Amino acid sequence: MSVLEVRGVSKNFRGLAAISDVSFAIAEGSITSIIGPNGAGKSTMFNLITGYLPPTAGEIRFKEKRITGLPTNRIAELGVARAFQIARPFRDLSVFENVRIGALFGKAGARDVAVTTRRAMELASIAHLAEQPAAALTVGQLRHLEVARAIATRADLLLADEPCAGLNPTETAAMIDVLRQVRKNGVTVVLVEHDMPSVMEVSDRLLVLDAGRLIGDGPPQAVANDPKVIAAYLGTPDAA
Amino acid sequence: MNRTPALIALVIAAAVLLAAGPMVLPPFYVRVGQLMLYSAGLGLAWGILGGFAGYASFGHAAFIGVGAFIAGLVENQFSTLPTALLLPVGLLAAAAACAILSALIAYPILRLRGTFFAIAMLGVSHVCAEVTNNIDFFQGSMGLNFPPIAPAGMDPANFFYELYLAGALLILLTAWQIKRSRFGAGLLSIREDEDTARMLGVPTERYKRTAFVISAVLTGLMGVIYAHSLGYITTDSVYRDDTNLSLIVYSLLGGMGTLFGPVIGAFLLVFITQVILGRLLDFHLFATGLLLVLLILAAPGGVSGLLKRRKTA
Amino acid sequence: MGLIAQTLADGLVLGGIYALAAVGFSLIFGVLHVINLSHGILVLMGAYLALIFSEALHIDPLLCLPAVMAVLFCVGYCYQRYLIQHAVDRASINSMLLTFGVALMLQNAMIWLFSPDMKSITPSYAFASFKLGPVNFDAVRVSALIASLVLLSLLAAFLRYSPMGRVIRATAQQTLAARLCGVNVRHVYALTFAVSAAFAGAAGIVIGIILPFSPNDEGTWTLNAFVVVVLGGVGSPAGALIGGLLLGLVSTLTAQYVGPAFPNVTMFLLLVILLLIRPQGLLGNAFSASR
Repeated sequence: MSVLEVRGVSKNFRGLAAISDVSFAIAEGSITSIIGPNGAGKSTMFNLITGYLPPTAGEIRFKEKRITGLPTNRIAELGVARAFQIARPFRDLSVFENVRIGALFGKAGARDVAVTTRRAMELASIAHLAEQPAAALTVGQLRHLEVARAIATRADLLLADEPCAGLNPTETAAMIDVLRQVRKNGVTVVLVEHDMPSVMEVSDRLLVLDAGRLIGDGPPQAVANDPKVIAAYLGTPDAA
Repeated sequence: MNRTPALIALVIAAAVLLAAGPMVLPPFYVRVGQLMLYSAGLGLAWGILGGFAGYASFGHAAFIGVGAFIAGLVENQFSTLPTALLLPVGLLAAAAACAILSALIAYPILRLRGTFFAIAMLGVSHVCAEVTNNIDFFQGSMGLNFPPIAPAGMDPANFFYELYLAGALLILLTAWQIKRSRFGAGLLSIREDEDTARMLGVPTERYKRTAFVISAVLTGLMGVIYAHSLGYITTDSVYRDDTNLSLIVYSLLGGMGTLFGPVIGAFLLVFITQVILGRLLDFHLFATGLLLVLLILAAPGGVSGLLKRRKTA
Repeated sequence: MGLIAQTLADGLVLGGIYALAAVGFSLIFGVLHVINLSHGILVLMGAYLALIFSEALHIDPLLCLPAVMAVLFCVGYCYQRYLIQHAVDRASINSMLLTFGVALMLQNAMIWLFSPDMKSITPSYAFASFKLGPVNFDAVRVSALIASLVLLSLLAAFLRYSPMGRVIRATAQQTLAARLCGVNVRHVYALTFAVSAAFAGAAGIVIGIILPFSPNDEGTWTLNAFVVVVLGGVGSPAGALIGGLLLGLVSTLTAQYVGPAFPNVTMFLLLVILLLIRPQGLLGNAFSASR
């Protein structure tokens, strides 16, 4: 069953098409990466799914339910969570308090806040930082905090915006490990990522966006060897 | 977490001690005490929106004024009721009026953030004052009399002192309940980063509106007690810009967003302006302004912020 | 017909003055992202200085413009450099409160120095007037309007063509980039503040010759400036002019046709309606800048 369905979605900014007629479905329990050159519309796609921006055309369905047009917090209550590339922690609060906000809100339904908070921190391997103020964390730790807070919302779908950007190899490996753990806990993961080695390693499937269009879709190896995709990244030989 | 019972015991002890105040204090200090409790109550009510949710209002005197005038007008309509019922009727009317007004303006005004919200609230306060002053129905320019409500045999000053204390305690209790609830955590996340809060599923719009209405209603209740203690009010005696400012200063002084910050700030500021500077009435504004400037430059986290910094350093 | 023409003409005169009185506030907000709540005080300083100068030297108040602007330029520079700068790097609410504190102190000082009574500056041509069709113009109001428009144009030209003006605009748009290009941002901030204060002072003179003033007016002038900025947009003389004229027209039309007590009420309603239609403000960036 597909947990997320994007159907014919377009987004124009004052006539400029950031996303044009993109459709795809995400299978439950998968890890999918959206890749593409800068300005291809990857982050816009996330903004559309989370309701931060309204699409110009098309519709988005989450677990069969149409979510286009719903306010961001309603979409979060249904079970979509997002981890930002540039971490946006609640700076004055401790790591524990940050994650606890996620556990208090997020997906509606029965909750055990203390247990959820603790589990999310363990899953993202930041339990040892619980009492630290968020403002004191390193960039890598902040990314983990983003993921922990998102997981604490008991989301079914995690949208992670470049979780590995700017991290060193050790930190990247740790992050990939966390994402795998997240999936193991039954959460579907969609990544936007530039770091190709991590993408190839962690993803079940790649979606390639270029200039707002979906130009590639399939298993990592197949997509990476697709001439259309290579052309998008390196330019076509006969383009000059 | 296990500090909570001790804190409750401390608050109850302080309340009992404060309640006994008028029996031992000379009249001047009863008056200062009234002002302290009134200010603390207002500061706490302001803090529910300004401190907890980070929406610092510059115009909460609007609700003092609306509460006071609506209560007065309604009570004068019901002047045949027994004295003991007048205040409850007035409080109820004021609460309803403030709830309606704040719910109406919440939708547009809470779309503004930071300084824009603050100034827009100042506008609300000025508009309410102008309407009260210029529409004869409200009797703002000629003044409005309040029926005496102090029970026979009790000094009105002492009676109002206890009334202010009850009001401040009610607001303290409300603020405390909010702070420890899920709602309070939501407000905190709004203060920290509203967009992220929404992304985590916090119903930011509803929470902001709720906090605004609660804050407005509680402010209005204090306004009713204030008007009664004056006995006669005009537009200028309730819609005061120095009140608009003081409410922020209390939290700044005591610690923004903390539960007891506004109480500490209000007690301190009233003590400084009434007792220490009591004789320099001409320099009141100057002193308040200077205090504000020094505070911003030296201790942006307030007194509790200073203590915290001392602890961590 | 005559009444509406007269009302519109009065509105435009008043609007020109509102624009001049608001342009400094707008510039400071656009460049420094500081809401200067002591702006009204700077306006009044201009008015009182002109009163002192013109009475002491027996000259026309408009001739005091250069002297008053020079004094306020220095005041503004020091005020920013040595006081506001310390709060500007922290939360925006802090700089706003700081300027509010200063406004309180100076208002108190002004009451003490000049008494709380209304004062007015009376130039020699105070009672001259002429008619243009059905519309009556006072010489005073016309000279006030002309002075406002000339000063606004001068400021616009300064910002557009002078090297200093370019640096100010560059800093407003990209503070970090300007810093990387070797701009001394603190100096630019202080200069912006100085220019703004000078124009506030000029506005004070113009206000002084057509309206009575007292220390208690400072809040009104600050609030007016804020409304003008929301109506017209942040940081440019042209925006201030549009906002000022709009506010002037709305005020006089309300006073004439609704009641003399209601200009502020309509002004505020207009503000709320605008915010409902365009929650991000007439200029989108105006509202994100507040956080």
